[in-house]
Amino acid sequence: MSSNPSKQAAIIAAAEADEIGYLDDNPKTSMMLHVEAIKNVTHEAGIKISDIEAIASPGVAGNVAEYLGLDPKWIDTTQIGGCSFQVQAQHMLAAINAGIFDIGVITHGEPGWARRTGALGGGGRGFGGGDPDSPGPQFEAPYGPAGAPTAYSHAMTRHMHQWGSTQADFAQIAVTTRDWATLNPRAIMHSKETHPYGGAVTVDDVLNSRLISWPLNLLDCCLVCDHGGAVLLASADIARSFRTPPVWIAGSGEAMDHAMLMEMKDFTATSASLSAARAYKMAGMGPEDMEMAMIYDSFTVTAGITAEMLGLTPRGEGPGLWADGNAGPGGKFPVNTNGGGLSFNHSGMYGMQLLVESYRQLAGTAEDGIHGIAGKQTNAKSLVVNGTGGSLSFTGTLVLTAD
Amino acid sequence: MADYNKMIPTPDKFTSKPYWDGAKEGKLMLPRCTTCNKVHFYPRVICPFCHSSDIEWFEASGEGYIHTFAVQTRGSGGWQDDAPFVTAYIDLKEGDRLFTVLRGVDPDKPQEIQIGAKCQIEWDEASDEISVPYWRVVE
Ligand SMILES: [Zn+2]
Repeated sequence: MSSNPSKQAAIIAAAEADEIGYLDDNPKTSMMLHVEAIKNVTHEAGIKISDIEAIASPGVAGNVAEYLGLDPKWIDTTQIGGCSFQVQAQHMLAAINAGIFDIGVITHGEPGWARRTGALGGGGRGFGGGDPDSPGPQFEAPYGPAGAPTAYSHAMTRHMHQWGSTQADFAQIAVTTRDWATLNPRAIMHSKETHPYGGAVTVDDVLNSRLISWPLNLLDCCLVCDHGGAVLLASADIARSFRTPPVWIAGSGEAMDHAMLMEMKDFTATSASLSAARAYKMAGMGPEDMEMAMIYDSFTVTAGITAEMLGLTPRGEGPGLWADGNAGPGGKFPVNTNGGGLSFNHSGMYGMQLLVESYRQLAGTAEDGIHGIAGKQTNAKSLVVNGTGGSLSFTGTLVLTAD
Repeated sequence: MADYNKMIPTPDKFTSKPYWDGAKEGKLMLPRCTTCNKVHFYPRVICPFCHSSDIEWFEASGEGYIHTFAVQTRGSGGWQDDAPFVTAYIDLKEGDRLFTVLRGVDPDKPQEIQIGAKCQIEWDEASDEISVPYWRVVE
């Protein structure tokens, strides 16, 4: 434990929606209640909505932020029922004490009566809490989207148009990542023994694999399999007192751009530029100080764009990070040494797989015979690891260092 | 309309009512902030650009441009049998962007689809109450 956060943050205003109670005559959706409460609380304190730097709300903090056009530095959607707000206040206290931000809002919009009476109409459960003002069911679902690949492909098309990249450029990411998987016995695509299509692949293999959502082919897409993982964190005071070595969280940052793809400002850029800037600043380091990277590769396009956002390549040249084997085994700048979501393991939320491999690389256990064979362990003492969530929506970046 | 076999959206009768009312008439109605004059989509009760609550609705031109697109080989909500089909994000002439299924393009020739191509809205009567917009490339 470092500094005591006691009284390092205060509640400076509190307010409610314009009308609360049984809103039979004038029912309101959850988002309308959120907006009224936030307008009133900011007015009470004499600040602008755009002054809000952080947002917490059970389940929907990101959706409320998108609705308000905010790009918060800190997002907490912790949903553990009615006590979520107290818990979020503690999370916010810790974050303010740590200097992550200065002004945040905890917000609530819950038409409990209107949901019971059906006053809000149908709409079914959907994006944004299931209320019928959810934009997803009204404005995206009618056009048949069928999961992440059908969304992310739009970003790749735009990248190819805007920056002149090609499907072959992105395919190289899959090829190099597969090379790493051949050094990881636990990778789904380690070899022909682990999967009929396992083992090394070529750019042509990727380009000739089955079309999923043009311009994404099958081998541009991550696996969907099973995974469980966990990491332990401990205070600096005791971190050296275990039989396992510490890997330090030198920097951290989080950011968002949108919740729905419709609201993505630039289809070739994610908020990882912001989360990475925050993480680098906290660490007092920059991309030039990183010796490897672990980059969320739900699709080749995710990894390619994120490489740019992390400052590892100039804008528009993300896929080039993987060119000429540079990011592969024995390369100058190793990336996704576990074989990635593309070829190691991806269960839906891949961020834990990223953290586990990041730890192993910096702890020096990446080729212990079980999780890696000769050639997988790098010499890196520092790395940047970035997770991407939603539809290229949310990002979390860590800068990790070894002793 | 009886043969409309895709998912029919349930309108939000609060925030988006003018949009769906307009759709029934074959008109693209968009929300615009009278404080900063910017159009936003999806509809909101507050302007996402300046946080004013002074929102007006107006009839838009129904003209837009392809921002980006993809060819889908699988689909949900009744679209599976239509695959391959082309989805796209359309930059509205009046501002902001929306999602659609694109018409007037060949899903087998994505290389021939031009980002920036001009599109025009058209409406399918999905039910007595709901018309769903599609966009057709017109150049
Ligand atoms: Zn405005």
